[in-house]
Amino acid sequence: MITTKRTINVSLILLKKIYKIYHVGGEEVRALDGVDLTISKNEFLAIKGPSGSGKSTLMNMIGCLDTPTSGDYEFEGEMVHNMDDNQLASIRNRKIGFVFQTFNLLPKATAQHNVEIPLVYANIRREKRLMMASKALTSVGLEDRMHHKPNELSGGQRQRVAIARALVNNPSLVLADEPTGNLDSKSGQEIMDVFDALHQEGNTIVLVTHEDYIAAHANRTIQLF
Amino acid sequence: MKIILLPMPIAPFSCFENLKISITAVLANKTRSLLTALGVVIGILAVTLMGTLISGLDQSFEKSMEFLGKDVLYIRKFQWFGEDEWWEIRNRPDILVKNAGVIRERSQYAQYVAPVSEWWTSVRKDDESVSGVRVSGTTEDYAMITVAEVEKGRFFSRAENRSGARVALIGKDISDVLFEGRNILGERIQIGNYNFRIIGEIEKQGKFLGMFSLDKQVIIPIGAHQRLFSRRGWTGINVKVDNAHIDDAHEELTALMRQLRRLRPSEKNNFAINRQDPFREQYSMIKLAIGGTGIFITILSLVVGGIGIANIMFVSVKERTKEIGTRKALGATSRMILGQFLMESMTICLFGGLVGMSLAYGGSRIINSFFPSEMPIGLAMSALGLSMLVGIISGLAPSYKAANLDPIDALRYE
Ligand SMILES: Nc1ncnc2c1ncn2[C@@H]1O[C@H](COP(=O)(O)OP(=O)(O)O)[C@@H](O)[C@H]1O
Ligand SMILES: [Mg+2]
Repeated sequence: MITTKRTINVSLILLKKIYKIYHVGGEEVRALDGVDLTISKNEFLAIKGPSGSGKSTLMNMIGCLDTPTSGDYEFEGEMVHNMDDNQLASIRNRKIGFVFQTFNLLPKATAQHNVEIPLVYANIRREKRLMMASKALTSVGLEDRMHHKPNELSGGQRQRVAIARALVNNPSLVLADEPTGNLDSKSGQEIMDVFDALHQEGNTIVLVTHEDYIAAHANRTIQLF
Repeated sequence: MKIILLPMPIAPFSCFENLKISITAVLANKTRSLLTALGVVIGILAVTLMGTLISGLDQSFEKSMEFLGKDVLYIRKFQWFGEDEWWEIRNRPDILVKNAGVIRERSQYAQYVAPVSEWWTSVRKDDESVSGVRVSGTTEDYAMITVAEVEKGRFFSRAENRSGARVALIGKDISDVLFEGRNILGERIQIGNYNFRIIGEIEKQGKFLGMFSLDKQVIIPIGAHQRLFSRRGWTGINVKVDNAHIDDAHEELTALMRQLRRLRPSEKNNFAINRQDPFREQYSMIKLAIGGTGIFITILSLVVGGIGIANIMFVSVKERTKEIGTRKALGATSRMILGQFLMESMTICLFGGLVGMSLAYGGSRIINSFFPSEMPIGLAMSALGLSMLVGIISGLAPSYKAANLDPIDALRYE
């Protein structure tokens, strides 16, 4: 149950001593080496670091796509590290919105249908889905591109469709792994404007980047090495 | 990664969505889907066409058997489906017309007894003629034994038979060629070299087992037949009995014939008593052969088709690894992914099955134009069910593979 006290500066996410260790050919790769991290509601957090520093691994961990080798992960009071696959899928579906570097849209589906997908998995009626998808697309300025397929859209527009898809289920947290990495600087700027607006509206955002000017949009930056 | 096992992988909620996704995918790649499902197409085509063929054969077989009648015994010189050696039976005596009278008197099972002599010759009317006509000489009892009705006119009477009157009933083929719809009753025709007066026409009976027309015949009194065409052709005796006692009748007639022929107990029968049963036995063997071949082709093409579909599905899972990762990131559970791919392979198979059925429908129309037949609906439906089953079975392994993909590995896949 949500209590009224948890409105201001409540921690949404608590990571304690998170390790992710891979074994490649007998060698140990510490992708995450004891990460402690707290993310509050309505925070805009940037994660920086060189390639291979574990940014994506951390994002996947936060996004409940991956489970840590050891450590505790608490998401809105729920113990994620104890969850099974179905519970993780449910958390991803209801509480997390993903934005990928490569957009990851279904090429044969229209923008509207792409945005609808999380709602399908949430078992929401079709009419309601279409309505929510249109609303999400409108909020990223794509109300006139609803029935276009990804190959009929520019890179920036595709990423905005992806953002609409991430937002459509009103997640507690939006995760973006190098969302501007495949875009030119103008489109990148557009995307960052969208994220700024989302932050203004009260969304919690975690963004991975290795560009300082992108990280500058965030109100907190952490660095991985 | 945990391996998910049954229970039933398709959650009802996503079933409809998955069906929509699958139908869209199948229709978007019609040619590819069709090629993928070719084995299923052929399998369903084979089983349905085979069913149609057998239904048609059944119909025409039953029609032909009607001509023989299930309660008629045919006393003949030879067995219809004999396995005797020819040198043992070539010296058999002919069946005599006068045997019929004795049988009528002494048999307690015989209801009607008609001797039948047959000879083939041409039939003429003015300049038109039909050759190779079956000329049957018989008695008025024949009308009570045969199922064919007299359509126009009448059968000949006992008196006409006794007096050897030259009257004839003609078959449909004869009246069609010689009279072309004009009145036949009372008209004169020439059978061989002799003049006959037409007193009736027999209804159309069609072909016997698709081999020869039963309507290319004339029926005349046996007296006239004996006098004009005797020593030629052959003679037999048709005996109608009570269907319930056909086996007893068979025994009784055998005994009677042996008595007439004065055979000693050690001697073998030198005549044959035929009935429709051996036709049925022969026919069910033919049917078994056709059915067996059809089922063999069906199973073979379904198995080959199923392997092809499994293969394509593996390719599809590989190609769409990133899509699977994305779907999982958006909240799809393993079961939902499993359901999606199972539904897809089922839809491909169902699509193949439907194409196969429409082809079979066309094919059955063609078969139908050769002889009356129909596509058996029940079989067609089971065939569709079968194609869905093939879809599920061949989709299982690829779908499990898709469902069990690790979301991160899938997302990283290029
Ligand atoms: N599945 C894996 N198996 C082995 N090593 C991995 C695997 N995934 C990631 N790693 C390693 O973990 C480290 C962190 O990777 P990643 O989080 O992708 O880095 P970043 O996103 O910061 O570039 C890298 O050294 C990478 O090679
Ligand atoms: Mg990365």
